[in-house]
Amino acid sequence: MAAGRLTARSDADLIQASKRGDLSAFEEIYAAHAGRMKSIAFHLLADRADAEDAVQEAFLKIYRAAGGIQSDTVLAPWIYRILLNCCYDTGRKRRRQAESPLEADPPAIPANVPLQVAIRHALGRIHPQYRMVFWLFEVEGFRHSEVAAILEIPEGTSKKWLFEAKRELKRLLTESRA
Amino acid sequence: MTFDCKDLERALAIPELLPEAREHAKVCDACRRELWLWSEMSTLAPGLREQWETPELWPRIRETLAAQQKADKRQARVSRRNWYMLAGVAAVMLIAVSVLLVTYSRQGAAPASQDSDLLTEQALREVEKSEAAYRASIDKLARLAETRLKSSENPGAVTAREKLLVLDSEISNVRATVSHNRFNAQLQAELALLYRDKQDTLKEILQSAQ
Repeated sequence: MAAGRLTARSDADLIQASKRGDLSAFEEIYAAHAGRMKSIAFHLLADRADAEDAVQEAFLKIYRAAGGIQSDTVLAPWIYRILLNCCYDTGRKRRRQAESPLEADPPAIPANVPLQVAIRHALGRIHPQYRMVFWLFEVEGFRHSEVAAILEIPEGTSKKWLFEAKRELKRLLTESRA
Repeated sequence: MTFDCKDLERALAIPELLPEAREHAKVCDACRRELWLWSEMSTLAPGLREQWETPELWPRIRETLAAQQKADKRQARVSRRNWYMLAGVAAVMLIAVSVLLVTYSRQGAAPASQDSDLLTEQALREVEKSEAAYRASIDKLARLAETRLKSSENPGAVTAREKLLVLDSEISNVRATVSHNRFNAQLQAELALLYRDKQDTLKEILQSAQ
């Protein structure tokens, strides 16, 4: 599944139209990406309101930055990079505002729960970089080339981190179900 | 190669080894469970995706963008207006400077022209006074030369007499013109030249007679 693949108008057309202040073109970009962006933001922030705020902030930044984007830029990785930065900013802000600066340890993986629930819990216990690659590839359906472009890492690293993520998850799930 | 439980990890990293791992899993419960878990993670992962409706999100974004566009347009209008004002001020200043330059150049040139062609009242009085005195002295000289001219019949005296007649006629013409245009310095200068010519002619007559 290709991220941000649009049928009506190409990414370049939409960005060019958005540069000219065409909000309907920008709405097409929103329609193509907002769902997946909310999901990623929720995965990182674990709060719907925060996720929506991060997506809104990302779209405002995308619109403002559209004027400077090259016409041959692949839109999707650029959009998701901006989203990730917005999420990290929101996360940092939230940590500053929190009474306790220390993050609580992720909860243990509960026994006797459906495997999908166990995977969700186990994901909270693995390395954030591995988790991010697993999320983008396995959950959101990006290809390794797209994951690599979004996270600005080599494609080989994306593959390696995915393998490490799954190995860690397998270990945690096996332990919890033993 | 004989596939062993220890090879499972390697098989998960290298997809080419997976068929052998599956063969092994048929006879190994532990590896079968691990292989199943490995593939179930990928199968179940898309279900982790969080989806919810947010019908108010795009209108919120569009509203902010529209407000931003309006603000940008207003800013652009203000910038354009400022630019026009600056251009207008520059144009007015250019015109003012041009007018001043033309005025100054005219004012600078006019007195020189008037000085050369026209005389002031005071300067004219001085010129007329000098001319009267000059004319009186020339008349005195003419009276002295007149007796000599009348008594002499040599060709030089005849030529001088004729020249004096021409000069007198010319002087009389110029004086008539000057009487209508007393401030014309050029006419005054011409008159002075005629008097000088007459004076030189009379001097020559007197010198030739000695």
